[in-house]
Amino acid sequence: MANSRNNRRGRRKIVRTVLIYISAIIAVIFFIFPIYWLVATSLKTRAQAFSTPPLFVWEPTFRNFIDIFLKRQTEIEAITGQELELATGAETFFYNSFVVTFSSIAIATVIGVLAAYSFSRYKPAGTNTLMFFILSTRMLPAIVVAIPIYFFYRSLGLYNTYIGLILLYTMFNLPFAVWMMKSFFDEVPRDIEQAALVDGSNPVKVFYKIALPQVLVGLGATIGFLIINVWNEFLFALLLTERATRTVPVMIAGTRGEVGINWGLIAAIETLYILPALVLIFVLQRFLLRGMTFGTVRGAK
Amino acid sequence: MTRVEIRGLKKSFGPVQALKGINLEVESGALVALLGPTGAGKTTLLKCIAGVEEPDAGDILFDGQSVLGTPPWRRDVAMFFQTYALYPHMSVYDNIAYPLKERKWGREDIDKSVKAVAEKLRIAHLLDRKDPSTLSGGEMQRVALARTLVRNPRVFLLDEPISNLDAKLREEMRTEFKRLHRELKQTIIYATPDFLEAFAVAEKVAVIKDGVILQYDTPINLMRRPKNRFVATFIGSPTINIMRGIVRRQAHGWEFSTTSLKIQLGNIGASSKLSDGSEVELAIRPQDIVLEAPKNSNSFKAKILAAERLGYETIVTLSLGDVELKAVSKGMRPYRYGDEVTINIPGDRVILFDVASGEAMY
Repeated sequence: MANSRNNRRGRRKIVRTVLIYISAIIAVIFFIFPIYWLVATSLKTRAQAFSTPPLFVWEPTFRNFIDIFLKRQTEIEAITGQELELATGAETFFYNSFVVTFSSIAIATVIGVLAAYSFSRYKPAGTNTLMFFILSTRMLPAIVVAIPIYFFYRSLGLYNTYIGLILLYTMFNLPFAVWMMKSFFDEVPRDIEQAALVDGSNPVKVFYKIALPQVLVGLGATIGFLIINVWNEFLFALLLTERATRTVPVMIAGTRGEVGINWGLIAAIETLYILPALVLIFVLQRFLLRGMTFGTVRGAK
Repeated sequence: MTRVEIRGLKKSFGPVQALKGINLEVESGALVALLGPTGAGKTTLLKCIAGVEEPDAGDILFDGQSVLGTPPWRRDVAMFFQTYALYPHMSVYDNIAYPLKERKWGREDIDKSVKAVAEKLRIAHLLDRKDPSTLSGGEMQRVALARTLVRNPRVFLLDEPISNLDAKLREEMRTEFKRLHRELKQTIIYATPDFLEAFAVAEKVAVIKDGVILQYDTPINLMRRPKNRFVATFIGSPTINIMRGIVRRQAHGWEFSTTSLKIQLGNIGASSKLSDGSEVELAIRPQDIVLEAPKNSNSFKAKILAAERLGYETIVTLSLGDVELKAVSKGMRPYRYGDEVTINIPGDRVILFDVASGEAMY
């Protein structure tokens, strides 16, 4: 009796495990497939990319990746003499994206972390009002301020400059940085910082030796969030840049082939463009895992 | 060796008044306990002395000099936090070494001190542990204690330092504190909600409740001459017995009477606070009630309701008229429910409290 019940329970456990695995695999396929398709397309020739039914076995070509960076004059250009916006010389755009993203995130993170810590610890008069005010800058749809900012930038000479884009993205990201980091700093037990004060650290040391290490997980998550914001930003990059400062998202949208859209080429650019994001996610994953056990060193109270 | 003086200290958190004017003097090199229930203001008071909370009013003096202007990192006190407040990103060793590193000690001196204190608290085997969150509650507490005791500050502030240890280790730690205090001759302020712990370690105990120090006295005086009903009931186990009744002046002294019994108090009422016919509360410690006593004027027949045999003593719950009393008797007594015993309430051991104010009337 007992044996058969054990067997039944064991079998039910196996079935459940198998079901869990199957649903996990389906979920993974669901999320991975678009990325697979993107990479696959980037390795196909134009004809292969358009074939029906879709090709799952083919001889991969790296032509698209070479074409992104090598300037080729097209036949149409040769005849008309008119320069087309081609997906060539992509390194400039990648460089622009890196410069703009890195600079604006560095500034937004430093200012945001310091502001968040001040709000969280020192609670200056009107903290709630100020925090709401900071948040309220995110409440307008970007498109509403697009035209004013365009004219504003034109007249200030910030149009088509790195500094213009960097300032704009910093401003857009600060509310996120302040709000996210404040909630992480709020979670650091005050007793830990007070213990450090009594142990002989002044407030500046308490900040970078005690408080900051506690929120590294949150900092990683915040930076990841900000990078995705800036890295993917399209609207303002389109409005406020020309060829010299153009970022990759705008360049992708502007990519035209000689005849119609060259999906292979676009897929190649996009594959390269999502690579840093993928790497970032894998780096941050470790932080996120540690985030689950974050803040467990606490007393009985 | 620092004398700590606290004068009229007040501190509020929003609408909550945590400290309502604390006055306390701790002699240089004394070990004083702050005894009070949760939320009494013990932690706030310690944090004000450490400097991590700023009082709204009043002054804190070390050796006669105000330290209110001295920030905590220069005040040179060591504090044990009730929540342990271990640095989660540092190893056990680095946690204990932190105060010394911040004081720019040499690496060898740090190493020697950390190992010595770890040895003393029996956590030497834990020093290499990377993540303090993996320690057990008792281990965390000892690590936090080691971080507090590793240096030699002007004042030690200990906020419930041994509450989470198991009974045996707690007993050892109490002795350890006494020894430490004797060796270091340091000023120690020790907060605890447990009167036994306070009595065991401290020479003087300040009973604190709702942000006010009710009585600052030696353990024996707190036991024998509590200033009010709260101090009387908070200290002692089992809790002191309290009955309500009327006092009347008789030829031979005062007499306390309820509807069912009369107790002769003798000349306890020499104090002018007692007036004939006034309503009072009479308190008598369970240890002072004599069971199976020879008959005298304060003897009563009582019925046994329950007996808890604890080995060296037996706690007996008695019914006496319309009141229930607890009494403690030495040894294991084979009392059973419903047994009748003669008890004696010594008139010179009772404490009378004013019904309205709860103040003791001596």
